[in-house]
Amino acid sequence: MRLLAGIFLREARLAWAGGGGAAGPTAFFLACITLGPLAIGPADETLRVIGPGLMAIAALLSVLQAAERLFTEDVSDGTLELYVLTPVSLPLLALAKVLGQAAATLWALPLIAIVGAMMYGLELGTALLVGAALLAAIPALALLAGFAGALSAGVKRGGLLISLIAMPLMVPVLVFAAGTGRAALDGEMDRAFATLLLTCAVSLGTIAVAPFGIAAAMRARLG
Amino acid sequence: MTGLPLNSADWPDFSDTNLSVRELGLSRGDRRLICDLSVALQSGDALFLVGANGAGKTTLLRAIAGFVRPDSGVIDISAEREDAIAWLGHSDGLKPNETLRQALRFWCDQSHQPSKRIMPVLKALDIGHLIDRPASRLSRGQQRRAGMARVALTNRPLWLLDEPAGPLDGAGRDCLARLVAWHRSRGGLVIAATHQRLEWPDAETLGVGQ
Repeated sequence: MRLLAGIFLREARLAWAGGGGAAGPTAFFLACITLGPLAIGPADETLRVIGPGLMAIAALLSVLQAAERLFTEDVSDGTLELYVLTPVSLPLLALAKVLGQAAATLWALPLIAIVGAMMYGLELGTALLVGAALLAAIPALALLAGFAGALSAGVKRGGLLISLIAMPLMVPVLVFAAGTGRAALDGEMDRAFATLLLTCAVSLGTIAVAPFGIAAAMRARLG
Repeated sequence: MTGLPLNSADWPDFSDTNLSVRELGLSRGDRRLICDLSVALQSGDALFLVGANGAGKTTLLRAIAGFVRPDSGVIDISAEREDAIAWLGHSDGLKPNETLRQALRFWCDQSHQPSKRIMPVLKALDIGHLIDRPASRLSRGQQRRAGMARVALTNRPLWLLDEPAGPLDGAGRDCLARLVAWHRSRGGLVIAATHQRLEWPDAETLGVGQ
């Protein structure tokens, strides 16, 4: 456990020091949600309706945009070999690594989503649910992006590969995360909470399964 | 060990380690690199792998480390790989924005070693004054020495070194030779792929791909 905490903290620190921390994904997220109304039009009712969905799509794209770096550096600087030779089991190591990076780079997204949702005309309660749904979705999004990143590490045009692999896998979490806000917008709080719990369930399921896929991809990268 | 400020009482003995490779066959893609290779190393031994570029030195090291699966044959190490092998590949495993202190402390933690050993090992490699410098501001040779420091600090019996002396200057090669001699005096094993002539006493040489 102490070893995993060490890996988590190191990845968070490296993402902070080397990658500008949360700046990249945050800027991308902000760009998506501020450019959206400019493209779609400023009608109040339209913005209210698209708000929750747009936040979810913006979060998905922000996570994907940062995924390419996740394992490529480890492959090129030789860290991957050292990770394989540590006594920690590789799936747990992959989980700690991806979540450490996610914590350092994606923490701002739910907070901005709350403010953003209110600017789109949603009430505070709905906006909070939009933020909570993103918070619940981020582990799943980060791990799926990590899986795609591990498969494509060191491959030319890795970014394209990441999108092709991760996008279909991200559909359920996108549907549930956006659905939470939409249900709240319709005033159906029961359905909103149920969908929020489903989002959490998808994240937990991904936490249970994705690390094995990432570990297998890391091993394949070595051979 | 003379010339090294490392107190051997702090470090365990590896005298019961050995490695045996039997009838090993390795290929890369569809090119056969090594067939029917057998090597046995006892505690305290050192082995140079020599051969032309592309002959399979690195692939052999990677097979011993367990990164690639051999086509045939057996590689036996008298301990679990995760507890036995210290690896120095082409790259040094350093992150550009991490200081040596942060990086080495992390690797010490990961292999359950006390971080108070960091400074003595860095001094033995003559880079003690660089401990708070990020790796991106070190020269290639200094980075290589930092990689060797990590190898020593993980405190494992079998060192697998790929071109350890590549970017090192004369003084660096002397440091490396002293560190290797110290490791062997504790019973450790060293296998190094190299193109340079390194002065390590009683080291055997294995030609790869000849």
